[in-house]
Amino acid sequence: MRIGTLPAALAAAALLSACTLFRAPPPQSPAPGTPGGTPAGTAQPAQPAPPTPSALTPVPPAQPSTPTPPKQFHLGPAASALVTQAHQQAASGDTVQATATLERALRIEPDNPLVWIELGRVRLAENNPAQADAMARKALSLASGDAAAQSSAWRLIADSLRARGNNGGAAEADRRAASLAPR
Amino acid sequence: MVKQFEGRRWTLPAQVYAAPLELYPGLPLGLAPLEHELQRLHYRRSDRADRPGTYQVAGEHLEVSLRPARFADETRPAQRLSVTLGGAKGIESLRSAAGSDIPVLRLEPLLIGSIFPIHGEDRIVVSPDEVPALLPLALKAVEDRKFDTHHGIDPIAMLRAAWVNMRAGQIEQGGSTLTQQLVRSYFLSSRQTFSRKLREAVMALALDAHFTKADLMNAYINEIFLGQDGDRAIHGFGLASQFYFGKPLSELDLAEVSLLVAIVRGPSYYDPRRHPERALARRNLVLRQMAEQGVIAAADAAAAAKRPLGVTRRPAGAYYPAYLDFVRRTLRRDYREQDLTEAGLRIYTSLEPRAQDEAERALEHELTRLDRQHKRAKAPLEGAVVLTSPQSGDVIAIVGGRDVGYDGFDRALDAHRSMGSLVKPFIYLTALESGRYNATTVVQDAPVDVKLTGDRHWTPENFTHEVYGPVPVVRALAESLNLATVGVGLDLGLPKVAATLKRFGLPQEPALVPAMLLGAVDVTPIEAAQLFNGLANGGFRNPLRAVRAVISADGRPLKAFPLEVTQVASPEVMYQLDRMLVLVMDHGTGRSARALLPPDLVVAGKSGTSSEYRDSWFAGFSGGHLAVVWVGYDDDEPTGLTGSAGALPVWARIMGGLGTSSWDPPIPDSVVQMQVEYPTGLRAAPGCASDIVSVAVPAGVSVPAHPGCGFPESTAATSLLQRAGQWVRSLGH
Repeated sequence: MRIGTLPAALAAAALLSACTLFRAPPPQSPAPGTPGGTPAGTAQPAQPAPPTPSALTPVPPAQPSTPTPPKQFHLGPAASALVTQAHQQAASGDTVQATATLERALRIEPDNPLVWIELGRVRLAENNPAQADAMARKALSLASGDAAAQSSAWRLIADSLRARGNNGGAAEADRRAASLAPR
Repeated sequence: MVKQFEGRRWTLPAQVYAAPLELYPGLPLGLAPLEHELQRLHYRRSDRADRPGTYQVAGEHLEVSLRPARFADETRPAQRLSVTLGGAKGIESLRSAAGSDIPVLRLEPLLIGSIFPIHGEDRIVVSPDEVPALLPLALKAVEDRKFDTHHGIDPIAMLRAAWVNMRAGQIEQGGSTLTQQLVRSYFLSSRQTFSRKLREAVMALALDAHFTKADLMNAYINEIFLGQDGDRAIHGFGLASQFYFGKPLSELDLAEVSLLVAIVRGPSYYDPRRHPERALARRNLVLRQMAEQGVIAAADAAAAAKRPLGVTRRPAGAYYPAYLDFVRRTLRRDYREQDLTEAGLRIYTSLEPRAQDEAERALEHELTRLDRQHKRAKAPLEGAVVLTSPQSGDVIAIVGGRDVGYDGFDRALDAHRSMGSLVKPFIYLTALESGRYNATTVVQDAPVDVKLTGDRHWTPENFTHEVYGPVPVVRALAESLNLATVGVGLDLGLPKVAATLKRFGLPQEPALVPAMLLGAVDVTPIEAAQLFNGLANGGFRNPLRAVRAVISADGRPLKAFPLEVTQVASPEVMYQLDRMLVLVMDHGTGRSARALLPPDLVVAGKSGTSSEYRDSWFAGFSGGHLAVVWVGYDDDEPTGLTGSAGALPVWARIMGGLGTSSWDPPIPDSVVQMQVEYPTGLRAAPGCASDIVSVAVPAGVSVPAHPGCGFPESTAATSLLQRAGQWVRSLGH
């Protein structure tokens, strides 16, 4: 994605944020992992191999206590104002300023996946899909229980894969996004 | 000569700024700490906050007259700010002068120093509109009464001085005009000889003919030498104002302006910090002279003469040499030394002065206590601290040693010491990633004998010199058991463990020797912080950064250091490991920290002790902060301190003082929390077993249950020894 397409990217980001704010999350949550067909050469997290209890006494598996209760992330007023300001800065083509502003928001709400997704969107606009992908995965790791935020993160992953020419992986990521929060 | 002066571009050392404090409703900052932050920026409490740099307090309400401020990304004019506080809840609302709500606002960044050449001039250049009107008047009254009318020299004043000097047989009086002083400072050495005096006079005449009086006065104000701070020469009134009073020149009052003018005559002799009586006497002389010449009213002079000197205890700037050292090294990768010391760059950093103060105080406090307990004839204990915000990768504080004002050996960046048991989390992380281990897996803490080359054998021991037998992983890590860990590490293979360390940011290839598993890997405190930052940030590595942005003298952004993250471990594995590091604090080697921490604060960490107690480490994190502390002797002598005895109290004091948030990441979907009996790792429930802890394991994993805990009979446990035997048999697969 070139700088010229930035407003579109931001519109998408804004739309996704809006979805996050207004859509009730569906109950299901995705299995973590990476979409198939991620290109070689990009840093991928080491996924844990399925546990092999090996020679231990055969016992019934531990039941998940309770699934993560559904929740919805919101931006607080301070972070929200900064995100709005960052949108304006990015819309006028100044992604460096937009990043600086979003980092202010991040320092106020470092564990809010919505801020990480915003940062990833600006990275994508700067034609840095690898960082966009990493930010999306950070968002995903924080978004447990919030299907809408997870969906936004998967869409960002999809877009970053597409930007690297991995259309198969992008389609898979889009499918995950859609299953979490159908558009 | 005139050309040279016209082309005058003062060499402008880069100015370095701390992170600005973000204010927003909901920030848990009470009245006292908020006032403290304003006073750190040298805001004055007054009855009417009517001038920039002042504020007034009425109950839970503050009116602040903000100064104009320059940030990396924005310039903001002076403005009024109303802050309403809500008791313990902190800031309730922020309003502008017009009464509209402000969602978020930064205080201006604190100037923390400058990057000046070695043995060089440091200065902050001011423009005429930043100069209080009193200053030129005072300078003329005291140094050069005929400045406005003479042609660069004042023959009568020179003759008078010559007469005095001749009678005294030595040079006692100057009689130089401001123009001559300017020439001397700019073009000539300060040796007082008659031939040099002649040259100086000729040059002063030439300058006066070519420049306006206003230009010459402005040049003088920016040029003149006003103090010495170690290698750093304080030039110009702009910097002198910061150096002596910690605030901009424009905010100085009559007494303060008079003190700076008093210092001109002899910055060393009239040093207000070292010779306050002399400085006071001369300041009052300056005030009298001004009154005599009608520059100020006699009553004002008398009132100002009653004021104390008002200089800050320590020179502003160069407060944080260890942090500035890190900034300088970061920038040297991209900039030539000359750009940094001459080009007037503005450098915005991540330093948080409050956190830095906390870290400095904690280190000094605990080392003083430890020195008393462990008397040693030679040098005292030393230490270093690195503090970060894990998610942003901001380095918010660096302490390079006990003498925080000393610009010398920076242990945080340059002390390469064995990391000791700080390596263990990375071994167990590798173990969890293998899929063959979880927190409840029982491993053998048994004697180890590794045959090395030749006839040599490596036979490590536990710190207690005991052997613990079969133990679950969670206990082996919490109590830092060496033998169990070496067993696990050898099972995984040294290259696997080394690869994990590299992934988290270890800069060098560790030597693939078994002793690596006990931390025979040299790291500096800042490198240890880089490694642990990945653990604190949920398995995402971000390069630690001190510099956020570099801005040119004319306000153009030159370079930004944006946040970069790389996922280096899965959230599932990280959650399981971090959960065990929480138990280090509750059950293991971090236990003693609890006394210094808020009771409900959840933190995670790991102690480290290198061989023969040469290095005492503690690295740990909360939800918002990571701190790495090293304690040891500079000569590498044993300290007799474990990580828990030396570094941990420092760490706990810092964490306790920061007002940080709990470690509380979301539980990944494929991980479950489970209660287990700590000594055995058996699944348990409150009431049916003692010493129950909560660990995280992969969903679906089989964990043997404690008998009689109400779990189905088939989950009844085999003995610890049998389970350890199963693990031992599984080795070598």
